Amino acid sequence: MKIRVDPERCQGHTLCSMLAPSLFELDEIDGHSRAVSDEVPAGQEADARGAAASCPEQAIFLS
Amino acid sequence: MTVEEPGDAARKASSYHFDRHAADYRGRFAEVTKELHTQCPVAWSDTYGGHWVVSGYQEVFDIARRADVLSNDHDPNGERRGYQGISIPQNSPTQSGFIEMDPPEQRHYRQALNPYLSPAAVARWKPVAEEVARASIDEKIESGSIDFVDDLANIVPAVLTLAMIGLPLRDWQIYCEPTHALVYTPPEAPDRARVIDQTMHMMGRLYAATAEVRRFPRPGMIDALINAEINGKAPTDDDIAGTLLLLITGGFDTTTALTAHSLEYLGKHPDERERLGRERFALLDSATEEFLRFYTPAPGDGRTISADCEIAGTRLKEGERLWLSWAMANRDPGVFPEPDSIDLARPGNRHTSFGLGIHRCIGSNVARMTFKTMLTAVLDRMPDYVVDPARTVHYETIGVIQGMRHLPATFTPGRPRGKGLNETLDDLQRASDEQRLAEPVTVRRHRAQIDTAAS
Repeated sequence: MKIRVDPERCQGHTLCSMLAPSLFELDEIDGHSRAVSDEVPAGQEADARGAAASCPEQAIFLS
Repeated sequence: MTVEEPGDAARKASSYHFDRHAADYRGRFAEVTKELHTQCPVAWSDTYGGHWVVSGYQEVFDIARRADVLSNDHDPNGERRGYQGISIPQNSPTQSGFIEMDPPEQRHYRQALNPYLSPAAVARWKPVAEEVARASIDEKIESGSIDFVDDLANIVPAVLTLAMIGLPLRDWQIYCEPTHALVYTPPEAPDRARVIDQTMHMMGRLYAATAEVRRFPRPGMIDALINAEINGKAPTDDDIAGTLLLLITGGFDTTTALTAHSLEYLGKHPDERERLGRERFALLDSATEEFLRFYTPAPGDGRTISADCEIAGTRLKEGERLWLSWAMANRDPGVFPEPDSIDLARPGNRHTSFGLGIHRCIGSNVARMTFKTMLTAVLDRMPDYVVDPARTVHYETIGVIQGMRHLPATFTPGRPRGKGLNETLDDLQRASDEQRLAEPVTVRRHRAQIDTAAS
């Protein structure tokens, strides 16, 4: 499963990191999110889907 | 005010008389929300000079993120396009800081303040928040009686905000009282003059503090604003005071409202309170987001359409006013099944309580941290509290903030765990000054070290 956070959409709500802290890292200065890796580790697909569903800006893309 | 043109009747056919400031609105909120959702999720209301009301989640989502056609600008002197900012009706003669600005200026302010308010920056203050909550509860713990608003929920957000700004912690009441009173005191109330006096006193302190920090620099957001570059220029004293007022009014009342409503709910549902206490690690985050969704302390914001456009099937004209209802979007059954019920474990909770788009609440990380700190302190120290519904006071009108004035409760008395509030604030002031806690996270990364004297 591929994962990407759209930096144009992300506004730093931090829901993703709350739900799946191992999949996202938050910028120290503005709290915006980046995927730790563009590949979701095996077994964490449900967490990735949960994070994507919780983003108010719908900034997380899975494929 | 827009001029009626041919075709307007068709554009504004979805109409609804929507008055958020009316006395009966609070009681009818769920009903009004359902009516708007089913009839016209984008509706024209003739109230307050006429404005669009957006209540459906998808419609709020589609519109709120369109910074290209929406303006937050408040231009009271008509230097630009005379737009009226984010309050409907507009009731202030001055711009309320960067929430009432558009990019690039708006972005420059946020860039100056982000390093003080990011998740990493806020995490450093957690030990301070815990100590303020501990001391606030210690003041009441032996009596078996507390007002969760006056004695806890008003105090922790105020002290933390002042600490981050770089204002003396002991002054929290100077800022706290007028900030809340301004919201719940109607313009015609006899108390209004006193509230205005208190507000002037508060503004005087903000100007004085700015002058002090210019002469004798100390860490915090006042310092950040003094040294900021906004459109290539340094902010004036008026700009800085306006920004500080925004940080204070944005942070105090809203976090208090969230905390009070949540404690009231848990008091009325002791089974849920017990479950949250027991399953805290699993539930605290989702419960926080659910309380945010359900209670939406800042229920909405106004915008002005800056260019003719069509969004969510509605043609909008430049100059028209529009109300983005975060509170009603948060009750959309298409996104939140059983929206009028609180589900502490609700999944997919992409609520809009901190707004959407570029104006996302810059204090959101502070709000979550202080709320969770207060909630866990109550669950630890007084898990059996019983609220007194007869003496509970909600704001009568919820057009501006959905807040509470009083939430009295009784509980099984306990023992203090440390010093009282005033002594604790002195200790925290000393720690904050010595450790320069109010520096931006780029300068100082580490968590506050607070020595707590256990009793």
